[in-house]
Amino acid sequence: MSEKTRIYLQPWPIRIWHWINASGIIILILSGAQIRFPETLSIFTSYKSAIEVHNTAGIIVSISFSFWFFYYKMVKNTLDKLYIPDEEDIKHGLVRQLLYYCFWYFLGRPSPYHATPDHKFNPMQKSAYLAVMFVLMPLVGLTGILLLNVTPLRVLVLMWGGIKFIVALHFLLACSLLAFLCTHVYLATLGDYIKPMLIGWEEVEEHEEAEVPPEVAIPGYRPVRHYPEYEQALLEQRHS
Amino acid sequence: MKPADLQKMSLLAKLAFCAWALAGLIAQASAWGFSYGDQTGNNQACLSCHGKTGDVPKGSFIDPQRFTQTAHANLGCEACHATVPANHPDGAKVPKADCRECHSGISEEYAKGLHAAKTACNGCHNPHLVQNPKDVSGQEINMICSNCHNSLEMTAKHGEWLPQSELHLRMLPCITCHTGAKDYYISMYIVKSKGDSRFGKQEVAEYADLKAIAGSRPIVSLIDTNRDNYVSLEELRVFNRTQKALHLYGMMTPSTVSHKFEILDSRRNCSFCHTSGSGLMQTSFIAVPEADGTFLRVPVEKGAVLDALYAAPDFYMMGSTKNAKLNQIGLAIICCGLIMPVGHGFVRFLTRKNRKQKEHQS
Repeated sequence: MSEKTRIYLQPWPIRIWHWINASGIIILILSGAQIRFPETLSIFTSYKSAIEVHNTAGIIVSISFSFWFFYYKMVKNTLDKLYIPDEEDIKHGLVRQLLYYCFWYFLGRPSPYHATPDHKFNPMQKSAYLAVMFVLMPLVGLTGILLLNVTPLRVLVLMWGGIKFIVALHFLLACSLLAFLCTHVYLATLGDYIKPMLIGWEEVEEHEEAEVPPEVAIPGYRPVRHYPEYEQALLEQRHS
Repeated sequence: MKPADLQKMSLLAKLAFCAWALAGLIAQASAWGFSYGDQTGNNQACLSCHGKTGDVPKGSFIDPQRFTQTAHANLGCEACHATVPANHPDGAKVPKADCRECHSGISEEYAKGLHAAKTACNGCHNPHLVQNPKDVSGQEINMICSNCHNSLEMTAKHGEWLPQSELHLRMLPCITCHTGAKDYYISMYIVKSKGDSRFGKQEVAEYADLKAIAGSRPIVSLIDTNRDNYVSLEELRVFNRTQKALHLYGMMTPSTVSHKFEILDSRRNCSFCHTSGSGLMQTSFIAVPEADGTFLRVPVEKGAVLDALYAAPDFYMMGSTKNAKLNQIGLAIICCGLIMPVGHGFVRFLTRKNRKQKEHQS
């Protein structure tokens, strides 16, 4: 038997940031594609409109990114904890999560990890977001700012290897973000990830001891209930 | 030689004498620096005073060296200033030239444009310095415009609608957008960093700078390595790879310069230039500076020439100079991102019954 518990997983500032970021990145990808391939694409009618939309969306996403960083680092002070994989994640968590996506999911087993407000991301999410939020996004933003101010920041442009190198880097980073976006959206459909990002709350099934997975476990499998943080979060929910 | 001697000469000897006399005349004309027109002999008389700064008022000084390079020098001073008074310089002033006598077509065209009410020919062109547009760089053309149109004001005004306006105004001759022309070509020129600094401003390389690099070879051999007076795209790429201190810049220039200055709405459409493989981008020349201050024009292989400029770190034209290999790498990265949705999604669809059974059990 199982009953459902509600966890407040995504606070409203993060939800607003996420959707501004998501729509901004989609607009940036579409307008960027038109800027690079004007002879085949005319999504935003004229070339100039595409540039203006791209510049505006780029500035909004950059501000939104700064807000995200400020919120997690300064207000909640959970940035490192949320995004940097710990020893357990690297040693076992990554393989466990990978096995889940590649095998257990198809066999109908539950995810070996469940999100809590302080541990929102599974080890694979942590690693991917670490690369995206700490490498891809800052680099694509910085190269974008340089391209937006080629003349005033000319010396910086040359220090980075010249305008051609920056354009190439900006383009390849954008392609990587698009690749991430495809995977991110797909993986969001594997569990209940989209609803918490819309309303903030997640409903989790609270399993009783009788419902534990079979004793002969698949190698590497570690059910949700063994996570001490999850246990603690459930206890807190009950008491509150 | 007396006429009686001429009569005694045989026909063959007469012909030889005529050829000798003609060769002498041509040699003399070359020594004066004129290719045609015998009236130019009078230039020396005029320049003996007007070519010296101390002898004439500042406004009447004519730089002899630069004047000699103009097409007007070939016509001679009197072609334009026909009625020089006999008592010049003490008497009446020399009448001013009327450009319409030779340039009537241009004059009519100019009268229809925006500039006609503002200034006459000499507002932009000094007839004693004027050169063919092919012999001057786009930056020099823009310097003429900036005598009246303040650069900062123009940058701000264009910036109201044109992204990166300062960059556009620096990289394009004003006449590309403000005069109508049927055809355009890419005029390439060699630039070097100011003060040979890595971060120095890029400026047109002077003859002396390039001569120092070329050494005993002609400057053009820096690019046209096989000296066939034709630069292939491969030669451009080799130049970009090997000459670290020099770069090539491209500037879209009208092939026939119109004098009807106007504001053309079609130029506000960015894809007029920012399109790969545009017909306007196919014809190119490289302008190589010569010792006498003019430029030698060497034709470049037709094709997407701007692509060949890829090595220039400070030159990139959006939508036109994209690298095909980068596009392929980008596509490969995006395809990697589709592996999960497509591959996993397919197996997910095949195994959907497993999950339904588990849900049913719980």
